[in-house]
Amino acid sequence: MNDWYRDVSRRRFLQVSAVAGAAVALGGVAAACTTGASKKTGTFNWMTWSDHYYDTQLDEIKKAADIGTNISELADNAEGFAKLKEVTGQLDMLSGDALWVPKNFDEGLVEAFDINSLAVSKQLYSIAREFEIWTKPAGYLGYPFGWSPIQIAYNPKFVSPAPDSWEVLLDPKYKGRIVVENQPVEVVAYMAKLAGIKDPYNMTDAELAQAKEALLRLKPNILKFAQQNTDTVAALVSEEAWLATSNLGAEDRVKDAGGSDVVTFIPKEGTIGWMDAEMIVKGGKNHDLIMPFLELAEQKEYIAENFIKYGRPLFNEGAYKILVDKGEQERADRYLYNKPETVLTMTLKGPGVSTDAAIRVFNEVFGA
Amino acid sequence: MVDPIQASHQPRARSNLTRGWPFLPAGVVLLVLFLLPMTVMVAFSLWRTNSDLDVVPDWTLDNYIYFFSEGTYVRTFLKTLIMAAAVTAAGIATALPFAYFLVRYVGQRWQRIVLLAVIVPFWTSYLLRAYAWQAILGEKGALNQFLMGIGLIDEPSRLFVYNDLSVWLVLLYVYFPFAALALYTALEKFDFNQLNAAQDLGARPDQAFRRILLPQIRPGVITACIFVFVPILGEFLTPTLVGGAQGALIANLIINFFRGLQYTTMAAFSFVIAGFVIVVLVIFRRYLRVEDVVARG
Amino acid sequence: MADGIDPLELMPVSRMARPLRALLRGWAGVVLGFLYLPIAFMVLFSFGESRTPGLPFRGPTLHWYQEMLSNGVLMEAVWTSIQLAAVATTLSTLIGTMAAFPLVRSGFRSAGAARIVFTLPIMLPGALIGIALLIFFRRALGVDLSFWTVVMGHIVFTMPFVVLIVSARLQGFDRNLEWAAADLGASPARAMRHVVLPLIAPAIVAGALISVTLSIDEFVITFFTVGPQSTLPTYIYTQIKFGVTPEVNAVATVLLLGTVLLLGLAWAAAGQARRLSRIFGRRRARERIG
Repeated sequence: MNDWYRDVSRRRFLQVSAVAGAAVALGGVAAACTTGASKKTGTFNWMTWSDHYYDTQLDEIKKAADIGTNISELADNAEGFAKLKEVTGQLDMLSGDALWVPKNFDEGLVEAFDINSLAVSKQLYSIAREFEIWTKPAGYLGYPFGWSPIQIAYNPKFVSPAPDSWEVLLDPKYKGRIVVENQPVEVVAYMAKLAGIKDPYNMTDAELAQAKEALLRLKPNILKFAQQNTDTVAALVSEEAWLATSNLGAEDRVKDAGGSDVVTFIPKEGTIGWMDAEMIVKGGKNHDLIMPFLELAEQKEYIAENFIKYGRPLFNEGAYKILVDKGEQERADRYLYNKPETVLTMTLKGPGVSTDAAIRVFNEVFGA
Repeated sequence: MVDPIQASHQPRARSNLTRGWPFLPAGVVLLVLFLLPMTVMVAFSLWRTNSDLDVVPDWTLDNYIYFFSEGTYVRTFLKTLIMAAAVTAAGIATALPFAYFLVRYVGQRWQRIVLLAVIVPFWTSYLLRAYAWQAILGEKGALNQFLMGIGLIDEPSRLFVYNDLSVWLVLLYVYFPFAALALYTALEKFDFNQLNAAQDLGARPDQAFRRILLPQIRPGVITACIFVFVPILGEFLTPTLVGGAQGALIANLIINFFRGLQYTTMAAFSFVIAGFVIVVLVIFRRYLRVEDVVARG
Repeated sequence: MADGIDPLELMPVSRMARPLRALLRGWAGVVLGFLYLPIAFMVLFSFGESRTPGLPFRGPTLHWYQEMLSNGVLMEAVWTSIQLAAVATTLSTLIGTMAAFPLVRSGFRSAGAARIVFTLPIMLPGALIGIALLIFFRRALGVDLSFWTVVMGHIVFTMPFVVLIVSARLQGFDRNLEWAAADLGASPARAMRHVVLPLIAPAIVAGALISVTLSIDEFVITFFTVGPQSTLPTYIYTQIKFGVTPEVNAVATVLLLGTVLLLGLAWAAAGQARRLSRIFGRRRARERIG
């Protein structure tokens, strides 16, 4: 009694292989055909965070100008950069933070453009059109979108006196009561800020040692590392955590989730922050759709709606006026919407010389 | 000594190709989609990342040396091994009675329903389930409220979450279905009449269990162990979500490098872990033998 | 059990059998409760009012279900994930099952080593595999990323599970059954279909179930091998800045219900089919005889 497959003759084997190979080839051709087809219908590929758009906005643009979007999600600047490096033209637009924008440009992945050629750019705060780090001789590197500093949020029921410095995170009173983001390089940067280091993303060995010392003092105070903002909010709501680092808006989210009032502040030593922009990919297959899309998508009505939905400041000045009219001024002002110059006081996130060293320091402190 | 009846059933072997052709698709997948790309990663592990976060082909063993020179990685790896072993032991201990019950005392149709009932919850997003665990185990969570309600404790305990215990518990939760499925398939082919026969011949139940059942389901038990132990070495999400500040397992440390674009370090560390597991598997290969022992009947 | 008579009444059993069975039944209940406890909370949170899923619970509201339905990207992501899991699982189960036979039976001298190689994709972090595949697809093969590149990525790490579980089942498989079938005149293919496959079916099904479970929530490998598309895990795990909303809970709840419904229907249909075939089979046999 043979096994069922031993009876196969060589001829039969070759026949089946030929058929299988043909099937694979056909599949490949079919796939290639479909990729070609998308160009004609006016759809481009955008890798971004989910708060850069909302559904109604995309639907309206599709109806008005027949420009559709294939959204793929972006987790982290580093991963987005790594992916763009390999897929290049398969993407048409990529969103990115602060210093990652010139990094993408330096690697030849995105192109500079004349931002003033877009009529909608006049709606931006003028400062947003002139950021030094995004200005190159060839033009501007990205269309500015939104920004946020990292703040410290605390529960005044348990935290007193009212803190104003990064130092409060190291206070032994708050052992096991602090939540920070699960971002090693950023956490080390917070400690660097506390130690008064000028450039937390490009530190010398001596500066790293200082940051490490602060980190060791921070360690016992940490309850957990937040994978997402949800973790932070949940911990503040349940009062397991009394202090946390977060983007803007923590106090509103905690309130909305049924928690008590939480106070936020920007530490006096200065803070880390991000500002993001839409970058145009060099050699994108649907490159020509980008500018018309931006012209529509960045209109102040959409941006105002976006703020109401997601709650962090955006660079569109025209939208601020709409928000005031809609009665959102209090919230907008609390989120520093009309103070975009705050961005210049923040240390901006980005790749740096001491990235690797910072990770090593973090692992040494928080490993077993 | 070859059984002549068996010998008459065996064919004259054709060429190796036609003998093993069903292996071909899997072999191709493994070779082309795994081993080939991995050679690039092996190269990465021997190169370095420069300050511009680019991979530079300078050959060096520094990445491997770093793993062993900085104590934290070895210690964390040991901790991970212990955690994985603890979860595996608990997984087998909890899944075996469950699978046994299912196979022995439940009708055929209901067996399938229960199996599906076990696995279908795991088709939901893990993140959401982890958040649910946070809500259950947290200070204001369901467990505390329950314990206070029945008067076992006076005030909420913070001991249930953001520590190694919660990591162990949630890992057990995550990997239970894998162990259960593997043990179920092993138990399902077992002829329980053998246990009855043994008892008729005077064996005690536990003797029958140990000397008849366990040896026959051993491949399934080993499979269950592999399904639980090996993936835990790569687990980083659970320690982050419920492990607290001290919860980091080795994969957390490795992923930190990954997020910082330090692929060279990440690759080297991953291969150290994999190398260790391979060494263990090779040493214990006697127990893992897959080839058919034909003379059973 | 099928006849309604408790087998414990018929078998000569030890004194321990009845309490043992009760104990085991209780344990099964505990286990199922343990598995569904987080699910209950997950469903609960989908009806909560707050933007952040969690306690304290305030509600209920259907707001997030409405949000979910109007979220085109999320809906597309769900559909893509379902297709992905279905295709990857089918291929992975097929390939893995096929591979298990020569691994166990052909007497490959290096079968043990092959088995260890199969365990490698499980050992290595998904991040490593993801990056390796990205570089491989783009630089070595020069293909664009697409649905099929993700499928291939998923097959790489789900197939080993299938191979391992099916080969464990094949090991020690009673070959006498096949030889008996041959003696009765069955060709190898026929014996395969009617003898071997039914007996190893639980292992194949288990392998398939594990594959679906792994594929449906896979983030890292998916991120690096997917073309310009969203999948449910990439949608969920990228909400880092502002956190997930209960929309995602709503999606998970709907998917769970949908799966249960689908499986329930399939099970009922299978039951019906069996009943019908029994009726028609009897009728045909009567016609032949009478």
